[in-house]
Amino acid sequence: MPSHLTRRSLLGLTGAAAAAMATGACGTAGPASGGSGIQLWVLQSDTENPVLRKRIDAFNRSSSVHVEMTTYVNDPYKQKLQVAMGSPNAPDIFFNWGGGNLAQFVDADQVRPLDSALADHPDVAQAFLPSVLAGAKLAGHQYGLPMSGMQPELLFYNKKVFAAAGAKPPTTYPELLKLVDLFRRKGITPIALAGQQGWTELIYLMYFTDRIGGPQVVADLVAKKPGAWRHPAIKAAAQHCLDLVRRGAFGSNYPSVNADNKGASMLLATGKCAMHVMGSWEYQNQVSSSPDFVHGDQLGWVAFPAVPGGKGDPADVVGVPTNYFSVADGGAHAKQAADFLVRTLASDAYVTGMIGIGEIPPVRGIKPKLAASDAADFATFCYDLVSAAPHFQLAWDQALSPSVGVAVNTNIQKLFVKQLDAAGFVAAMDRAAR
Amino acid sequence: MNRRNVPAGIASAVWLIVVAFPIYVIVVTSLRPADAYLSGGVLSLPRSLSLDNYERALRLGLSGFLANSAVVAVATMALTLACALPAAYCIVRNRSRLVRTGLSLFLLGLAIPAQAVIVPVYLIITRMHLYDSPTAIVLPTAAFSLPLAIVVLTSSLRDIPTELYESMQLDGAGNGLIFRRLVLPLSRPGLITVGIVAGLNAWNGILFPLVLTQSARARVVPLGLWNFQNEHGTDVPGLMAAVVLSALPMLLLYLVGRRYLLRGLAAGFGR
Amino acid sequence: MTVRVGAPPARPAVAAGTAARQRPPGVGWLVPAGVLFAVFGLLPIAIVAYLSLTSWNGLGSPHWAGLANWRGLAHDPEIPPGIRTTLLLTVLSWAVQTPLALLLGVWSAGPQRNRAVLSALFFLPLLLSLAAIALSWQALLDPNFGLPASLARLTHTPAANLLGDADRALYVVVAVLAWQWVPFHTLIYQGAARQIPQTLYEAAELDGAGRVRQFVSVTLPQLRHTVVASSVLMVVGSLTYFETILLLTGGGPGDATEVLPLHMYRTGFVGFDMGAASAIALLLVVVGAGLSVAIVRATGFARMDSEREGM
Repeated sequence: MPSHLTRRSLLGLTGAAAAAMATGACGTAGPASGGSGIQLWVLQSDTENPVLRKRIDAFNRSSSVHVEMTTYVNDPYKQKLQVAMGSPNAPDIFFNWGGGNLAQFVDADQVRPLDSALADHPDVAQAFLPSVLAGAKLAGHQYGLPMSGMQPELLFYNKKVFAAAGAKPPTTYPELLKLVDLFRRKGITPIALAGQQGWTELIYLMYFTDRIGGPQVVADLVAKKPGAWRHPAIKAAAQHCLDLVRRGAFGSNYPSVNADNKGASMLLATGKCAMHVMGSWEYQNQVSSSPDFVHGDQLGWVAFPAVPGGKGDPADVVGVPTNYFSVADGGAHAKQAADFLVRTLASDAYVTGMIGIGEIPPVRGIKPKLAASDAADFATFCYDLVSAAPHFQLAWDQALSPSVGVAVNTNIQKLFVKQLDAAGFVAAMDRAAR
Repeated sequence: MNRRNVPAGIASAVWLIVVAFPIYVIVVTSLRPADAYLSGGVLSLPRSLSLDNYERALRLGLSGFLANSAVVAVATMALTLACALPAAYCIVRNRSRLVRTGLSLFLLGLAIPAQAVIVPVYLIITRMHLYDSPTAIVLPTAAFSLPLAIVVLTSSLRDIPTELYESMQLDGAGNGLIFRRLVLPLSRPGLITVGIVAGLNAWNGILFPLVLTQSARARVVPLGLWNFQNEHGTDVPGLMAAVVLSALPMLLLYLVGRRYLLRGLAAGFGR
Repeated sequence: MTVRVGAPPARPAVAAGTAARQRPPGVGWLVPAGVLFAVFGLLPIAIVAYLSLTSWNGLGSPHWAGLANWRGLAHDPEIPPGIRTTLLLTVLSWAVQTPLALLLGVWSAGPQRNRAVLSALFFLPLLLSLAAIALSWQALLDPNFGLPASLARLTHTPAANLLGDADRALYVVVAVLAWQWVPFHTLIYQGAARQIPQTLYEAAELDGAGRVRQFVSVTLPQLRHTVVASSVLMVVGSLTYFETILLLTGGGPGDATEVLPLHMYRTGFVGFDMGAASAIALLLVVVGAGLSVAIVRATGFARMDSEREGM
C-alpha cells in the first residue's frame, strides 16, 4: 500500500474528476434517445391507472413502438420530473397540471407543441371543452391534452346534520356565516378543514378573491405584474378567511387534521362537521371510505357561495380544470408519443372508462353517459357547473410558479393559524413574488 | 451489574409500552377493513379482522420489491464496512496531519443532508451511466453511511490497547496482518452496529431510489409503498399491511441473528 | 473471546533496526473510503456551493447570480424563526435522547436473558420505514380519532390538540423524534457498554461502591467517547434531518416546527429555487461541520486516547 500520496497528485486527481463530472452535466440532451419505448409518467391512482393501462395495451398491440407506464406519488413525482427533464432520463409523455406547472417546462423549450398532431385529427381538438383545453394552451400553441376528469371545488354538506338543524345549504356568504353560528350553537363544528396542508385552506382564499375581484386579479398574479398581490380583492378575501377562522367555523383542531388520511372527510361523514369545502374527488373518497354515507343519500353538494357586491361572476369555478399529458421535446419517439395521445385521450373507450370510475371528462356531449353512470347526480351537477362557468380558475399553487406556490401555501397556513393578519399575508406574498 | 435492578426494570417496562404504542397502531390498522378504518378511533380493536390489506399488498408486487431491497441493503452494508474499517484503523493508528484532515473531512460529511446534494449526485450517477440500477442506490447510500461508520468504528477501535499493536509489530507483523488478526476480531461490536445502521439506511431509504431509479424492476420497497398513496388520499390500512410485510424480513433476520449479535457484542476483551 | 497474544516481551535495547516495520498504516488505507466519499459527498457539496451562486430551477442551465441568493437569505423572513426552531429542537432532542439512550444501552448490555429479549423489542422502531412511523404517530395523535380523543371520551374533557397547537407542536415533535432515534443511540451505547471490562466493576465493588456509584465512577467515564460520538451524531442530525417533521406536521402549525433543513427542502424541491436552497444547504453544512469539529476538539475525541490505557 502506498504510504503517501503527494498533495499535488491528490489535488490533480480531484480537479480532473470534478472537471470531468461537471462539464456538460447540466442541461444535456432530451429524453432517452432511441430507448426502449415511449416512457409515460403519471400519478399513482388505483382508479385511473387501470383505465389508462387498458388503452396502452390496446395501443401496444398495434404499434411497433410500445408505451411503458411508470407511476409516482404527487410530491416525489414533481421532484423526479424536475430533476429528469432535460436529462437523458426524461420521460416522453408526462402528467402535469397546466398553468405555471407546465409553463416552466415550456419556457425551457422542453415541451413539444401538439398543433401538428391535432391538425391531423381535427375531431379530437373539437371534442374537448374549450375552456379546459385552454389550460394547456400557452403562447398560442397547444402543449397538452386533457387526460383526466374535471375537478371543480365545491361545498359538500351532511344532509342529516342539516335536516336535524332545520338548515338549508348556503348560497351566499352571509348565509354561510349564519350557518356557522347555528351549528356552533348546536355543538357541531361547522366546516371540516384539513389544516395540515395549505392547499385545503387556499380554496377559500381563491374563491373569495374570484367572487370579490373577478378573474383578472389572478391573471395579473400569473403574469407577475408588479404589485399584483396588493389588489384590494386579495386583502378582502384574506380578511374573509380570517373572519371564518375567528368565528370558529373550523373548530380548533384543524391545524392537525390531515388531508391524506381523509380525516376531514371522515369528520363530515360521521356528522362531527356539517360542511366540507373540497374538490370533486371528495365524492369518490366518501364512496370508498364511507359508502353508506353516500349511498344512503346523505352527502349533499352545492357550488361555493356568492359574495354579494362582488365583481366576480358567482358562476365562476375554482379547482383543477383537468390534468394534462404533454410530450417532451427532442425524444426519438416524440412523434409517436403525440400520436398516441391524440388517438387515445378523446377516444370513446377512454372516455367511457373515465366515467366508469367516477371522473367527469372535459369532453363535449357526454351527458347521457354521465346520467347512466353510478354517480349520475353528482357527475351531471359538476358537468353542468363547469360548462356554464365563464371562468375555471386553476388552483393557485399550480397556476403560479412553483416558488410562489410554496410561499402561498406557507402563508395561507400562517393566516389560518392567525400568525399573520390579512395585511401581513398580502405583504408576505408581495415580497415572495418579487 | 448482576443483581436485579428494580427501578431500571420498571423504567424499561415503561419504555416498552411507549415503543409498543405505534407498533400496535400499525398492526391493528393493517387488519382493519379499508373503509372503516378511522371511524371507531385509532386505538380500538377492529370489529372485524380483515386480511384483505395483506392480500392487496402482495398482489401489488411486494415480493419483487423485497428482493431488490435485499440486494441493495446487503451490498450497501458490505461496501460501507469494507471502506470504513480500514479507514478507521488508519485514523486511530496514524497521527499524521493528512490523516487528521481526512477525519475532519469525514466529520464534515456528517453534516451534509442528502437532499442538499441529491441533484449533483443525480448528475454524477447519470454521467457514470449507472442510472436506474441497484448500484445507483448502493454507492451514494454507502458514501453517506461512511461518516457515521467511521465515527463509530474509531470509537470502537481506539480502546484496543497500544501494547497489543506494539507486541504484534515487534513480532514482525505488518499492517495487513495486524488488521486481520487484531483489528478485525476486536472491532466486531462496532462492525455489527455499523452494519445494522447502513443496512437499515439502505432498506428504508427513499430519496436515492426515487431520484436514481425509475423502472418497476429496479424499484425498492419504500417506493413500492407508494402503491397505496393515491392522488387524493392514502389507503392507510393497505399501507400499514405493506409496512408490516416489509419489516418482517428485517425482523426475522434480527431474531435469527440475535444470538450471533449478542455474542459479537459481548466480545470485548473478555478478561 | 480472548485475544491470543504472547506475553509482551521486554523492549529490545536496539529499537532502531526495527523502525521500518513499525510504520503506522499509511494513507492508502483511507483510499477506498476517501474515493467513495469524495465522489458522492465532497464533489456534490462543491457543486452545491457553485449552485448557491446561481439561479436555477432545475431545468436548462444555471444562470450566474453572484451573491444574490446569499443576500436573499439575509432578508428571508423564514430564516430567523427557522434558526430558533432548529436550535431549540437540537438542544431538546439531545437533552431527551442522551439520558434515555445511555441508560437503556447500559441496562440492555447486562447479561440477563430477559434484558436480551426486551432489547430486541426496543429495536423495532429502527426497522420501520419513515412513512410507517409518521402515519402511525399522526393517527395516534389525531385529535378527533386518536389517543387524545379516546382519553377525552374517558375523562369527559376536550381532546388535547397536540400537533395542531403552535406552542406544543415542537415538544411533540421532539418526543416522536426521540421515539424514532433512541433505539439507534441505544444500540451504540449497548455495544460500547458491553466492552467495559468486568474487572473494573469487580474492583469497584470490592471498594464498597453501590450500583449508582459504580455507574457514575466506572460506566460513565468509560463511555466518555461514546457520549461524544453519539452527541455529535445527534447534534448534526438535528441540523440535517427533517423527513419525520415533514410527514408529521409539514412544518406547521404555521411555521412552529419549520426547521431550517425543512425550509431548505421546501425551497429547493417544492419551490424549485435551487440557488436559494443551495445557499441554505451550504450554511447548514458549514454550521454542522463546524459544530462537529468543535465538539470533537473540545472533548479530546480526536486525540484517539483509549480510556483503557495501561490495563
